[in-house]
Amino acid sequence: MMTRAILRGTSVLIFILAIAIFASALWAQTAAHKPAGAQTTQSPTGVKSQKPGAGEPPAAWKQIPIPPLPPFHPQEPKRIQLSNGMVIFLQEDHELPVVGGFMRIRGGSISEPASKVGLIDVYGEVWRTGGTTNRSGDQLDDFLEARAAKVETGGGTLSTTISFNCLKDKLDEVFPVFLELLRQPAFREEKIELAKTQLDTGIARRNDDIGEIAGRESSRLAYGRDNPYARIPEYSTVAAISRDDLLKWHQTFVRPNNIIAGIHGDFDPAAMELRLRQAFESWERAPVPAKPTVPFLEPKPGISFIEKSDVTQSEIRMVKLGIERNNPDYFAVEVMNEVLGGGFSSRLFKTIRTEKGLAYSVGGGIGAAFDHPALARFSMGTKSPSTVEAIQALRSELEGMLTRPATAQEVREAKDAILNRFIFNFDSKDKVLGERMLYEFFGYPADFLERYRAGIEKVTPADVNAVARKYIHPEQFAVLVVGNAAELGKPLSSLGPVTPIDITIPAPGASPSASADRPTQTDPKARALVEKFVDAVGGATKLAGVKALHQVVSATQQTPQGPMNLTNDTTIQFPDKLRAAVTSEQLPGQMLIVVTPSTAFMSMPGAGTRDMPSSLKQSRLNSLKRDWLPLAQHAADPAYVFTLGGTQRVGDADAQVVNIFGGGVSVKWALDPQSGRLLRASYDDVGQRGPVQRAIDYSDWRPVEGLTVPFKRSGTENGEPSTSEEIQKYEINPPIDDKLFEKPPDAPPPAK
Amino acid sequence: MRRLARLFAFLVLIAVPLLSQDIASLEKRITVRKLPNGLTLLVMERPEAPVFSAYTLVDAGSVQDPMDETGLAHMFEHMAFKGTKAIGTTNWPAEKVALQKVEQTYAAYIREAERRVGRDDKKVAELEKTWQDATKEAEKYVVRNAYPQIIEDNGGVGMNAQTSDDQTVYYYSFPSNRFQLWAYLESDRFVEPVMREFYKERDVVFEERRMSTESSPFGRLYEQFIATAFLAHPYHRPTIGWASDLHRFSATDAERFFRTYYVPSNMVVAAVGDIKSEQALPILEKYFGRLTKAPQPIEDPTIEPPQRAERRVVLTEATQPIYVEGYHRPDYRDPDDAIYDAISDILSNGRTSRLFRSLVRDKKIAADSAGFSGWPGVKYPHLFAFYAVPTPGHTNDEVRDAIRAEIERLKTSDVSDDELAMFKTRARADLIRSLGNNSGLAAQLATFQARFGDWRELFRQLDRYDKVNKADVRRVAAKTFVPENRTVGIIESTKMAGATPAEKSEEK
Repeated sequence: MMTRAILRGTSVLIFILAIAIFASALWAQTAAHKPAGAQTTQSPTGVKSQKPGAGEPPAAWKQIPIPPLPPFHPQEPKRIQLSNGMVIFLQEDHELPVVGGFMRIRGGSISEPASKVGLIDVYGEVWRTGGTTNRSGDQLDDFLEARAAKVETGGGTLSTTISFNCLKDKLDEVFPVFLELLRQPAFREEKIELAKTQLDTGIARRNDDIGEIAGRESSRLAYGRDNPYARIPEYSTVAAISRDDLLKWHQTFVRPNNIIAGIHGDFDPAAMELRLRQAFESWERAPVPAKPTVPFLEPKPGISFIEKSDVTQSEIRMVKLGIERNNPDYFAVEVMNEVLGGGFSSRLFKTIRTEKGLAYSVGGGIGAAFDHPALARFSMGTKSPSTVEAIQALRSELEGMLTRPATAQEVREAKDAILNRFIFNFDSKDKVLGERMLYEFFGYPADFLERYRAGIEKVTPADVNAVARKYIHPEQFAVLVVGNAAELGKPLSSLGPVTPIDITIPAPGASPSASADRPTQTDPKARALVEKFVDAVGGATKLAGVKALHQVVSATQQTPQGPMNLTNDTTIQFPDKLRAAVTSEQLPGQMLIVVTPSTAFMSMPGAGTRDMPSSLKQSRLNSLKRDWLPLAQHAADPAYVFTLGGTQRVGDADAQVVNIFGGGVSVKWALDPQSGRLLRASYDDVGQRGPVQRAIDYSDWRPVEGLTVPFKRSGTENGEPSTSEEIQKYEINPPIDDKLFEKPPDAPPPAK
Repeated sequence: MRRLARLFAFLVLIAVPLLSQDIASLEKRITVRKLPNGLTLLVMERPEAPVFSAYTLVDAGSVQDPMDETGLAHMFEHMAFKGTKAIGTTNWPAEKVALQKVEQTYAAYIREAERRVGRDDKKVAELEKTWQDATKEAEKYVVRNAYPQIIEDNGGVGMNAQTSDDQTVYYYSFPSNRFQLWAYLESDRFVEPVMREFYKERDVVFEERRMSTESSPFGRLYEQFIATAFLAHPYHRPTIGWASDLHRFSATDAERFFRTYYVPSNMVVAAVGDIKSEQALPILEKYFGRLTKAPQPIEDPTIEPPQRAERRVVLTEATQPIYVEGYHRPDYRDPDDAIYDAISDILSNGRTSRLFRSLVRDKKIAADSAGFSGWPGVKYPHLFAFYAVPTPGHTNDEVRDAIRAEIERLKTSDVSDDELAMFKTRARADLIRSLGNNSGLAAQLATFQARFGDWRELFRQLDRYDKVNKADVRRVAAKTFVPENRTVGIIESTKMAGATPAEKSEEK
């Protein structure tokens, strides 16, 4: 709950290594929030659920004696509070010759500005990799690895962390590094760039896996897209993060009165306490910003759909807001979760997986977090054709909690499971320490775990059914399906209206939060320059008369396989229809690309016809809007904003830059102030491998039917030449047959 | 050189006492007992808290799947949660008859459905219905998920199982007062497992295949990559099974697999935690002694012939690029095994590793890159594989070149003293750190007991690591990382995932 993946790339490694193994996973347990906590003294119950049925001989396993669990008094850590407010817990443990320390610092990603989402990810990474004022991060790497020691930092939703771990005979060498990093981090620029590249990689790859999409987007559905608990970094928010932001964060939040520390392992407690007091006692306290108040609204019920055409399975999520742990209903909710979606024994697992064979993974529950509503989330994955059936089955099980209330036996078994495994909350000294620190962090009582046990023991079937009626309202959940529309079988719309969700990754500069920074005021000088250009190419009236274009272009395109010569015969109907027929010696036949708001596909002999993903379709429609001609048509449009952007050297000319915002796109034009000619257009885009900067230079302007148009265009991608084009034929307002934009007759029928 | 040799001798000298000290202290707490039926038991006393963790290792995995029944080892693993003759049924004698009927009707249905000549579709439909009716009849006796429910109700945590190419393992943790209950439950599922609800569970496994392989770009690449790298050895087949086999094999097939491979001499059972061996062993002997002694299965998979030329598999996907390459290497018992571990560590372990520093830190062309052994297993000759995840704007070709440069460096110049020392230091520290929890210990001890016949090899491995020298690394790298021994696997982004040449020209 508290951590966010820093290096998205590393999750790939785990994934890659895990792929060789197939587990019969008890995946269903993910949503059953087990408390974990430091424990005082008690011996868990030896609850038994073994009551032979009347008249049956008891089964062999029921006769196995279960003695009471021996009394167990887990060792409590020693709590020390320094005069500057820092709280330290010491947990001695001499089993292994290892010492570890951990600090949790209040303040996390929910406190980062909306325009800089990702700040805490970068901070958590560069705090360590950026080194200290004395040693670079690379020097730290060498020093620590040679000692098989670790000093690590991280950023989370509510807190940031710094930790160390080493063999005890290395403590005198490693602890000073830990201190140095805590107090004098350097946040070196080159490591900031590296961390940003890593975040950008995560962004570029975030739509590759349906499980990841379903998890992320269902959180955003439940909390709201911009809620600090659900929002996600974009290229533009990552780009906006500066070294000053990291330094300022560190200065603001890393204060002794804002830190809870824990030391665990093989040390002498008196010596350790002395060491810590010497290190921290003189550190001055300072005021720290409070946690922001985040509003929570229930999601809009209904079905949302995300298209992913390369899968055979649909991921289904049903979400709404959950509860907080200090809610008096918490204990009954825990038992209800166990009955409904907890494990192999739960209703969801028994019905949807075991009885119906509809899913490998299924489960969920009403989540509970310490200080804000967690998610209520139910999840499953099923083969594409059984998607509707699976949603109905899931809903039916939720309704079943109301129509077929939990029985006394179900409640007894659920309580047995929770209470019998209770010991695992405190079966090691570091678990006791970790949970004790968590209660301190959230201001929960130190004996919270004991209260939890007592709370669970008191839960009755009536309590369970009361919370079911209170929190399980199947019609109030937002339903998300990520899947392959063409293979769904029964359409989702049979369940009600379906809202598509566009998960296209916004190009740098195009994200919603960046558009907040977008100017709303046109600079008259900028518009005057654009109008000068409009006059130079034939005037506003002539331009407005262009409804369609037909052009034949011969082009050389740079590809990973080398340059490729092609001919592109294109018909455009403004504002949003495009048909391109491409031929080349390197292609097996004519490649056809058609994009309109209602259809988008490409076809090639031998490869058949394939629909474009919605993200690509959107990107193509945007590129139509970025063309010089439609932009020029909007020179007088008040909905389009024009600002001045300095000068730029293009060829021999000092060009004036005009920023154009409108129609959902933004483009920079470099205009020759003397002639009014457009010399270069540049914009940020998302290419095959992530964000790219594209630029097009225009030349060889020639008159065509009263307009003046550029006959030569040469393009660059990130400054590298990518295309050069020459117009062979240019036809304004050609006759257009609507069939041009339809799928060829041999194409497979559209999705059922 | 002489000075270096002395340095190594010194390292080894200080290493040995530590090593024997570790083993000696653990020997007092670890008991290994081989039962008359051939099953190996391992108990370790670790009385930190009144809990224990158990781990059962069956030395059979998907490599042992019959040729036309891929996925069967994994399928049986799922069935091991379905209960026994005593657990999961309302009436075993009646259920047994009903399950026999299911198998007879399924066999008749499959026989007709697969008839190449003269198939009667009407008859197929009738036979299918007869089978499904028999299935419904058998389901009447089922107490659903009764077996895992007993474990959950009694406080079991971490209950799961895994099937890999090499082995199948089962594990969970219990409060220590349930030790006898665990011994009964764990032995019972391998004394008399019941193949109830087999065909429904087969659907569940198929969903697992859809999730892990079919709907995941990397899952698709991995399946194709391994199938390309291995021609003859069963490693070329997916553990989850090919789709057609998953639609075809029967409960009878799974039961036959069980009878052949789940024999006591093929199993190691480990328990670690708050248990006393003198009390635990009689209980273990009583329950696990029930497993019937049977001959050790014959182990003769086809040996992978030497590779003669580079192989490539390129998937064009609507996702971001990924690069993988693998080189055949010998199995884990090979004398060079420790050297491969050293190479993997120097290339991949942490921020000082060569692949991180080159591809991630300096060139910034990959978000992640590593080289490691163990694809798809270690028991038989397998792959030393490399992968890289290109950063936005960078290509598979760039990361390939950078990986190859690091490989060439290993072959043409010595690794540094620091790098070798780091490898040895880290291995020792990581081993020490791993000794602090029951479930990890149970897994490690059972694995080394099964793989080497002695858990002490877990520690002796450090001794082998200490002997690795620079010349070894060069020799093994030069022998292994050659083009004709290589298989390359690539995900290239489809033109659909980004701009095509034609579309780009359209943007102007």
